[in-house]
Amino acid sequence: MDYIFHIIILINIYIILTTSTNLLVGMTNLLSLGQAAFYGLGAYFSVLALMVLHLTIIPALLFSAICTSLMSLLIAYPSLRLKGDYFVLATLGFQLIIYTILYNWISVTKGPFGISGIPSPSLFGLLYISGIYSFLVLSSVLAAMVIYIFYKLIHSPFGRALKGVRDDELSLLSIGRNVTSLKIWAFTLSSGFIAIGGCLYASYVAYIDPTSFNLDEAIFILAAVLIGGTGNIKGPIIGAVFVVVLPELLRLVGLPDSIGANLRQIIYGLTIILLMRFRPQGIAGEYALK
Amino acid sequence: MSESILNIDSITKSFVKNIVNVHGNNEDERYFIIDDLDLLVPKGKITALIGGNGAGKTTLFNIISGFVESDSGTVLYNDKSNSINISKMKPEQIARIGIGRMFQDNHIFQNLSVLENMLIADSNTFGEIPINSFFRTKKNKEVEENKIEKAKEIFENIFGNNNSFWERKNDKAKNLSYGQKRLLGLTRLLMGNYQLLLLDEPSAGVNASIIPQIMEIIKSFVDDKDLTVFLIEHNMKVVLDIADFCCFMSHGKIAALGTPDDVISNDEVRKIYMGA
Repeated sequence: MDYIFHIIILINIYIILTTSTNLLVGMTNLLSLGQAAFYGLGAYFSVLALMVLHLTIIPALLFSAICTSLMSLLIAYPSLRLKGDYFVLATLGFQLIIYTILYNWISVTKGPFGISGIPSPSLFGLLYISGIYSFLVLSSVLAAMVIYIFYKLIHSPFGRALKGVRDDELSLLSIGRNVTSLKIWAFTLSSGFIAIGGCLYASYVAYIDPTSFNLDEAIFILAAVLIGGTGNIKGPIIGAVFVVVLPELLRLVGLPDSIGANLRQIIYGLTIILLMRFRPQGIAGEYALK
Repeated sequence: MSESILNIDSITKSFVKNIVNVHGNNEDERYFIIDDLDLLVPKGKITALIGGNGAGKTTLFNIISGFVESDSGTVLYNDKSNSINISKMKPEQIARIGIGRMFQDNHIFQNLSVLENMLIADSNTFGEIPINSFFRTKKNKEVEENKIEKAKEIFENIFGNNNSFWERKNDKAKNLSYGQKRLLGLTRLLMGNYQLLLLDEPSAGVNASIIPQIMEIIKSFVDDKDLTVFLIEHNMKVVLDIADFCCFMSHGKIAALGTPDDVISNDEVRKIYMGA
C-alpha cells in the first residue's frame, strides 16, 4: 500500500508542476525550458526555510514560493521582451545557469553532494508531517489547492487576457492591454506555484541535489504538459499521471531497470511525436501550441 | 473641413536597402514608404484613404496606432479636451487614449468564444489583475455582468434581437465564417472607449452580401456613436457610399484630397489608381 501512496504523492507533485507550467505554456503560449530551475529554486529555498529559518510547513511553502517568484522576475522582464524561439533559448540559458550555480556553489548548496537530512516539516509546530500518510494528505491538499486556484484563474478575466496573449498579441495590444505585464504575471505565478512542488519534493524526499533539477527534468515537465494537453485543467493532470505511472507500469512488466529506463524515454518520445502528428493539443488539451 | 481629430505633420518612414550600382559597388539607397506626409483627419466624419498596393497606407495606420515608429514628424491626437502627441507612444497606450484599430487580417481571438472576444475588448480591465480574478468580489462580478450586458446590447443594436452572434456567443470565434469574423472584429470596437477608429480594409475578402451590413455598421459608428472613422478601402463603391472625405495616397504622399467624387474624378488618381 505504501508503494501506491508513494506513487500518488509523486503524481500530486507532478500535478503541481504541470498545472503551473500550463499557465505559461498552454495559456500564454510561452514555451519555457526553465521550469526545472524554478522547481529546484523552490526546493532549495524550502531547505533554507526548514533547516535554517526553522519555519513550519505553511510559512516554508510561502517563503519558497515568494522567493522563487522574485527570482523569476529577474529572468521575466528581459526575456519576455523576446519572442518565440528567442524566449525559449533565454529560458534554456536560465535553466543552465541555475543548474550550474546549484552544482558549483558548494558552500551554500553542497553542490553534487546534495543536502540530506531535511527535517520533517511541522504544521503550526503541533503536528509533524513525517510518515507517508501525512505526505499523502499534504500533497493531495496542495495539489487540489493548486488545481482549484488555476481553475479559478483560467476561468477569470485574467485567464481570458492570457488566452488573448496566446491567440494574438497584436490584437491584444490594439485593444490597450499591456502584453508584457500579462506575461510577467503568468511567468511569476507559474514559478511561484512550481516552487510549492519543489518544497513538497524536498520535504518528502528529505534529500535534494542539483541533478533532480537539470535540463532533463525541465524537458520531462514540459513533455508531461504536452502529452496531457494544454489550455485547460484536465490536460496537465492527465500528463502528470501519465509520466509518473508509465515507468511503474514498465516495472510491473518485469523489464530490467536498464532497459525500462531507455524504453520509457522512447515511449515518451514516440508519444509526443504521435500526438504532435495526430492530436497536437495533447490527450485532453484544447489548445495546440503554435 | 471641420475640426480635426488627428493632425499628421511631416511624417516620414523609410528603409535603407543595400544595392549594387552600375559600377559594381555596393551602396545604400533610401526608400521612402511615407514621404513627408501631412494630413488632417476631420472629427466626426468618415475619411477614406485610398491608393495602390505599396502606397504606404497600412504603414501610415501602423504609425498612427504605434506599431511602427516614424523616422520624423509628429502625430497629434486631439482628444475631447486636449491635444496629445502620440508619435512615440506604445500601441496599448494609444488604444487606451481612444484610438481603436481593426486590422486588415482577421485579428480576432480565434480560440476565445464570440462573447469572450467582446468582453476582452472592453476598456475596463478591472478583473484582469490576478488577485481580483481569484477573489470574485462583488465589484468583480458587477463589472463582468455589465460587460456581458453591454456586449448583448451592442449585438442587438447592430444585428437586431435574436441575432446569430448572441445565439452563438459560446462558439469559438474560429468557427465563424470569414465575413462573420470581420463583423465581429468591427462590432467589438464598440466595447472600447474609442473616439477614433482606424479600419484597414473592412470589406476586403468578404461576401458581397455582407458589404452593405459592414457599411451600415461603419455609418452607425459616426451617426449614432459620434465616433470618427479613418478607413483604408479599395472598394470604391464603399468609399463613394459612406465616406465624407477621401485622400489618395501615392508613393508615400497624399496626392489628392477632397470629397470622394472630387478625388475619384481627379485625372491623376484615375491615371495612377484606376488606369484610366
